[in-house]
Formats: sequence, C-alpha cells, structure tokens
Amino acid sequence: MAPPDEPENPDPGMARARTELAWSRTAIAFVAVGGAILKTNIAAGLTVLAMSVLIWVLRRLFPDAATTGARPVRLLLVTLAVTALSLVALAVALLGHPR
Amino acid sequence: MTAADRPQDPVESGSAATEAEPDARYTFANERTFLAWTRTALAFVVAGLAIVQLLPPFPGVPWGRHLLGVPLIVLGAVISVVGYGQWSHNQRAMRRGEPLPRSVLPRILAATITGMAIVSAVVLLLSAVLKH
Repeated sequence: MAPPDEPENPDPGMARARTELAWSRTAIAFVAVGGAILKTNIAAGLTVLAMSVLIWVLRRLFPDAATTGARPVRLLLVTLAVTALSLVALAVALLGHPR
Repeated sequence: MTAADRPQDPVESGSAATEAEPDARYTFANERTFLAWTRTALAFVVAGLAIVQLLPPFPGVPWGRHLLGVPLIVLGAVISVVGYGQWSHNQRAMRRGEPLPRSVLPRILAATITGMAIVSAVVLLLSAVLKH
C-alpha cells in the first residue's frame, strides 16, 4: 500500500498504454487487409473495414479484464475476427477474378 | 504463504484456491504478445491475397499463384487460433506460478516460411522451363 503522499502509479511500466497502442496497431493492420480486399470485392472489403472498427472499439471494452482476471472475451473476439477474415480472403482468392 | 507456494493441482480444476491473478504488467505483456501474433496472422493473410490477386500469372504454371497464396491465408488463420491458445496457456501458467510453456508458433512459422520458399523456387523454375 502506497503512502498517501505518494500515490500508487496507476500504470507501472506504461504497460496499459503500450497495450492500448498494440490494439491500435492491430486495428490499423485490419484496415490494411480490408483495403487490399476492397480492391477486388467491395462488399467483402467493407465487411473487413467494419471489423477493424470492431477491433478499435474492443480495446475500450472490458478495460479492466487484464487486472481483474475477467474472461478474455475481447481476445476471443479478435481471434474469431481474424479466422473469419481468413475465410473471406480465401473465398476472394479462390472465387475472385485475378487481374 | 502465497498462491504460488501452494502445491499445484495437476488436474485443471479452475478452482480459485490454487490460482492467483498475476501482476497486471505480465498480463498486459501476454496480451501484447497475442496481439503481435494477430498482426503476424493478418500480414500472412494480406500477403497471400496479394499473391493471388496482384501478381501477374506465372507463364506455364497457371495454378502457381494459388499454390503460393492459399497456404499463406490458411496459415494466417492457424497462427491466430494457436496464438489465442498460447495466450490462454501462458495466462494459466502465470496464475498458477508455473513456468511458461514453450511456444510452438516460432516453429510453425519457420517451417512454413522454409516450405513456402522451396515451393516458390520450384514454381519459378517450372515456369522458366515451361515458358520455352
């Protein structure tokens, strides 16, 4: 317990800030994949771009999951999103018309 | 006596008695590692897609682009799912005060990149031979 005149550091090692930045990078990577799919299939591309908004929002959801040991819902959602994205990309690659 | 000092239950019981929440910094680091693997997975998906959609066809090997691109996309999905499993195992080990399990992802990555390099070389050579 920190003494009252020395408030406890709310973010030791900037771990929380660095993790939030990692979430931002992941959302940006999703946007890049969405842009690549958009070139071939507009509907699929827009779906992936919408998923990147989901990733962006997820980092704000369940903000205390890391410190309270809550179930990692957002990590599971990210995994499902990437798996779904791979299926979309597979469909675009196999059924799309390459230039 | 902390939770880490108590004897560990070898059977996964999920009971809170033998587990303690690790330092938040370790949990955050584990989460960042998961996110880094997620971005690696996304890079594989976009690389596979780019090979199929953007590369000009290999002369004489019309299926060459799919042969190179589709496995990369599948690998992206595999990395994402295995990355989540690894996050989960690491988190459980930290809660129980056990050593972290070894990651299989670097081995999957190295094996696949080596395999894809060999397949790429074969496709290119085949294309060069069949062109003439």
